Amino acid sequence: MDPLIKSAKEGDHLAFAMLFKENYPFLVKYLIKITMNPDMAEELAQETMAKCIQKIHLYNGQSKFSTWLISIATNAYIDQCRKQKRENQWKGQEEVFRKLKWHFESRNEEWNDALEALGKLPVDVRVPIVLKHYYGYSYDEIGAWMKISSGTVKSRVHNGILAVRRELKLGEETESRHTRQRTTK
Amino acid sequence: MKKQKVVILDNEQQNNHDLDAIHELQDGLSKVDQFPVYTPDLQWFENMVITEKENNRKKLRKELSLFLIIALFILSGIIVSFYQLPFVFLFIQIITPIFIVFYTITSLRKKVKINE
Repeated sequence: MDPLIKSAKEGDHLAFAMLFKENYPFLVKYLIKITMNPDMAEELAQETMAKCIQKIHLYNGQSKFSTWLISIATNAYIDQCRKQKRENQWKGQEEVFRKLKWHFESRNEEWNDALEALGKLPVDVRVPIVLKHYYGYSYDEIGAWMKISSGTVKSRVHNGILAVRRELKLGEETESRHTRQRTTK
Repeated sequence: MKKQKVVILDNEQQNNHDLDAIHELQDGLSKVDQFPVYTPDLQWFENMVITEKENNRKKLRKELSLFLIIALFILSGIIVSFYQLPFVFLFIQIITPIFIVFYTITSLRKKVKINE
């Protein structure tokens, strides 16, 4: 196990602080990707670190520390959505994406429609898509973090990608040809 | 055979569209990774750790004392009922296990429903 983690487990404040400082940008960027909201991402990063302090005795060093942080952050976000039913409170998508869009504009980057499509998906679909197709975690790992079976994760990711495709209007010709074939039969 | 070939081609096309969507997503998400994130200094993190540990200690002390007070209250109630009101004592002894079984079953059912 990393000596820094070992010291943190033994109660060394400085070791904890160094670990958090090292992993903070990675954690916040992950949270921006799943929340689509930089302010909420910073709030959740603090909550994740607080939970991490409470649960450090449970960390066994089998996975990377950053992976462990991601699993805690994922649960913190899902819990928050459940508690506050934030999904229903998201009144306008424009409101949600405003700050992220502003970040894109300030860097002279073009806004990505796929991100908008991702943001429109429910949280329990959006999170596994990011974890699977961006971070490359396995269905089993994601299932264990979200407390669902790997089969459920797989179907959520599949349906989510279909929804993104529909939003981006990818393969509409193929789909309409299929429908035409079915109606003519 | 010919029909099967058409189906395979269509599936391939569907997969290609899936891959296109995934690439678009990865492209957008990688742009988010390039954003600068303000990271506070080491002192800030250390203060946060100290404050959080202190809060946890306070919370634990509060919960433990609450637990002890409630346990003392329940135990004294049971002892008094045992000596003064034996019927009440018997009633509590019967009702408590029934309530625990009922509560466990309903909470398990709720969990199953959520996972469905």
